[in-house]
Amino acid sequence: MSVKLMGAVIALGLSAGAAFAEYPAKEIQGIIQWGAGGSTDVVMRSVTPHAEKALGGSVVMQNVTGGVGAIALNQVADAEADGYTVLMGAENPLLYKVMGLGDKDYSDFTPITLLARGTPILVAGKDAPFNTYPEMLAYVQANPDTVRFGSTGPGGLPSVVTAMITSTAELPVIFVPYDGDGPALTALQGGAIDVMPAVFGVAIEGIRAGTMKPLALFDVEPMAAAPEIPTIVSTNPEFGAMLPWGPFFGVFVKNGTPDDVVAKLRAAYSEATKAPDFVELMAGRGFTMMDITGDEAQAFLAKWQQTTSWLMQDAGLAKTSPEAFGITRP
Amino acid sequence: MQPQNNRRPGELAFALFLAGFSAFLLYTAYGISGFEALSAPGAIPMAATAAMLITAGLVVVQTLRKPAAGLGFWRFVLPPIVVVVMVGLLAFAAVLKPLGFLPVSALFLVLTIKLLSRRGWGYSVAIGLGCLLVIYLTFRVGFSVLMPPGIVPEGEMLAWFRGLLGGGR
Amino acid sequence: MAEAFWAFATVFTQLDLLGLVALGTFAGIYIGAIPGLSVTMAVSILISFTFAWDVYPAISLMIGIYMGGVYGGSRTAILLNIPGAPSAIATALDGYPMAQKGDAGVAIGVTTVMSFFGGLVGILVLAVAAPVIADFALRFQPRDYMLLALLGILLVGSLSGGSLVKGIFAGALGIGIGSVGMDPLTFTERFTFDFPVLRQGVSFIAVMIGLFGVSEALMQLRHLDTPIIKQKIGRIVPSWGTIRKHLPLSLQTSSIGVIIGALPGTGGDIAALLAYDHAKRVTKNPEVPFGQGAMEGLIAPETANNAAVGGAFIPMITLGIPGDAVTAIMIGALFIHGLNPGPMLMIDQPDMFWFIVGALFTANVFMLIFGLTGVRVFTKIVEMPRAVLIPLIMLLSIVGAYAVNNSVTDVYWMLGFGVFGYFMKQYDYPLGPVVLGVILSRLLDDNWRRAIISVRESVPGFMAGVLGSPLSTVLFVSVILIFVSQTPLWGWIKRRVT
Repeated sequence: MSVKLMGAVIALGLSAGAAFAEYPAKEIQGIIQWGAGGSTDVVMRSVTPHAEKALGGSVVMQNVTGGVGAIALNQVADAEADGYTVLMGAENPLLYKVMGLGDKDYSDFTPITLLARGTPILVAGKDAPFNTYPEMLAYVQANPDTVRFGSTGPGGLPSVVTAMITSTAELPVIFVPYDGDGPALTALQGGAIDVMPAVFGVAIEGIRAGTMKPLALFDVEPMAAAPEIPTIVSTNPEFGAMLPWGPFFGVFVKNGTPDDVVAKLRAAYSEATKAPDFVELMAGRGFTMMDITGDEAQAFLAKWQQTTSWLMQDAGLAKTSPEAFGITRP
Repeated sequence: MQPQNNRRPGELAFALFLAGFSAFLLYTAYGISGFEALSAPGAIPMAATAAMLITAGLVVVQTLRKPAAGLGFWRFVLPPIVVVVMVGLLAFAAVLKPLGFLPVSALFLVLTIKLLSRRGWGYSVAIGLGCLLVIYLTFRVGFSVLMPPGIVPEGEMLAWFRGLLGGGR
Repeated sequence: MAEAFWAFATVFTQLDLLGLVALGTFAGIYIGAIPGLSVTMAVSILISFTFAWDVYPAISLMIGIYMGGVYGGSRTAILLNIPGAPSAIATALDGYPMAQKGDAGVAIGVTTVMSFFGGLVGILVLAVAAPVIADFALRFQPRDYMLLALLGILLVGSLSGGSLVKGIFAGALGIGIGSVGMDPLTFTERFTFDFPVLRQGVSFIAVMIGLFGVSEALMQLRHLDTPIIKQKIGRIVPSWGTIRKHLPLSLQTSSIGVIIGALPGTGGDIAALLAYDHAKRVTKNPEVPFGQGAMEGLIAPETANNAAVGGAFIPMITLGIPGDAVTAIMIGALFIHGLNPGPMLMIDQPDMFWFIVGALFTANVFMLIFGLTGVRVFTKIVEMPRAVLIPLIMLLSIVGAYAVNNSVTDVYWMLGFGVFGYFMKQYDYPLGPVVLGVILSRLLDDNWRRAIISVRESVPGFMAGVLGSPLSTVLFVSVILIFVSQTPLWGWIKRRVT
């Protein structure tokens, strides 16, 4: 008896049936690039249930961590381009090529939607001897190699913000590495580090409670959720050219996915991003809603990649020059 | 765990293998960042592999001091039944992706139960498939762990079945 | 105060919440008992599942699963020598020998009561002293975490059984395994040999399932014809005398559990191992030697890992900082339900705090009830024919390893460590230290680097930092004392003094 043959017969019968069945005919697998409880995870888990409703199918979400998200990206890239494996990611893949972390990035994927963008903020411990960005810079330069800056691996938000600062001023500090802005902000509150660039949403509760103090918001406009925090351009207009900049979240499928499937997913996620409780959640955490797709999303990704890759290159953090991948200097 | 007085068959070879492996890993750890800095990413790996090499060396010396082993590696250390099951497990992993979870697990369970219990096919098939059903329901339906579907389109079958029960959403 | 009481009592007064806690605890026990199904996984699935619910029912279910899951890991550790979760590794050391003597019922009974006790201590500390403990936990600097990791590494001595040299080898191997992959701090590749699959590192759960699950199943293959041990069906609930006798030890190990649980970055697994070591140190004359079924060896890890649950909630509720992986996901769940976990939560919504305390308390009571009922049925697992049990364990190991990251690579790792572990067992290499090393690898490595970078690579500067802080000094002295007492140096000093 051939089990394989039997299976094949069943498969044939059912896939013939499935071909007529409308997408989604089974669960969609959503691969989340970052660990459970992180920003990407929380955003994806709160938007997807709304999308499921619009889609009339279920999305099984799975955290695939490691390699700065490259493992998840490759897992989706290796799956069939049938819309049953969806990548739920953040900005990191756009830097894989220059950072030598992989040879694939979002150019191998079709964006379903870029949901929202976060805003960086520079925070200091509550006992730090400075209260604003200019004061911090003056203190750091007067006391070289004593202030401890939290950092994460090259390419993460802290390294990009730090690169922005070093491209405009001398910054003689000690960089203490952490594996995410959550643990680093914990260390900041415990006094293990003094200053940390982080995402607004992760730092806001600590700022409200006074366990850390904001130095500057890295954006051109103040945040509606916290208008009292000064923007960096209000004191140092030289940052204006590099902003607005921020990490973002997006849902992607592999290139070559059938157009009708992409259209269905787009419609579902676009509806989901308008759900009131999702909008409220994002606003509360200081995320700027985008919900862009198609050419607009591609243009955003290209511009983001260009700006950030060259910042990394100029800070001496890139392994390969962006020019090698056809990314021109802005 | 009593330290054995006699060397077991294969014990020395295993100790030598571990020592050699440790030396190779120490060399690799050195390659990560050399003696660049105390905080270098290679510092702790080098310390760990150095400790491995030293202790593995000591184990080799200790093992050499014991009276030599008799024969009987295949009888005492690695009996045929263990080899057969190990090979079965590796085969399981190898064909898991192409064939899919359900057929491979069914085969594995039924065959190993048949082999180990030395009872009839009816018993093995009944117990094997029964257990598989429970595991499938727990992991696949309960916890939505998407095992490789392979040649059985179980995802579609499940969706169809759910559609029957719930009549769609 | 009255509002606090009513928030605390919400769970007992609302039948649906009570039911959800009970359901969660019951499911948690099984999730914890099956290696490969983890509480972390279950809770993150629940986030989507409970998305449309109110926040109280969602949290009730999660807390039940958490409490039950931490306890459930002990079941398979005792019955099959396969810890269902990392926090039950130490439980297997003395629990399994008890089951082999036919005392599985007694072992489960003691474990259950003591888990309940540990859980209670954790909840009590959470309710009474959360802000104080959170403040203390926050004060741990990278050098303190590093010293704590060193303290943990010294456990190798307790976990080694026969040969200390082999134990140290196994521990160092574990640290090495833990550092495989892309270093999360600098993105440097370590031990990857240019294979992309190695960049993600080796899944710790896969290592654990392989070493304990598959290698144990392979060992059992050699005993197909040995008769199965009949379990004595006698008294399951331990006598009051037994409980009272071990009360001082339980209090100590529970305290270890709460503190380690409250530290962001360490959880129940490390707490249980440290508690086991502590028990071994302070118990001068156990009735049965450790490693052969000592009751103290069961009590220590089980009180500690359940006390760590309450501990993990301390920084989570007071500061919005997760105490472990499960509380990290719960913070996400609170966000999704429109709350803002952070230092202000206690002030803005004190009800939430008291509700969580109440739910934990209820889950703890259900754990005791479900734990003590149905023990006889559970012990039947050991009496299942090996011809069925062994293939089942193997299949579960494969599914479990796959489920961690949906990756066949992890299945290969798991099998590789299963085969390797089989040979290690054959030649008397202890397996516990390998897992210990993997657990502690990141804690040691990351914090060592942070600590030494912070003082600009200066060893004198590092020592000055250690001696300048009372906390670091205490940890440092403990490391030195334990190290000295475990090595031949101790005998030499003793001889000199007397």
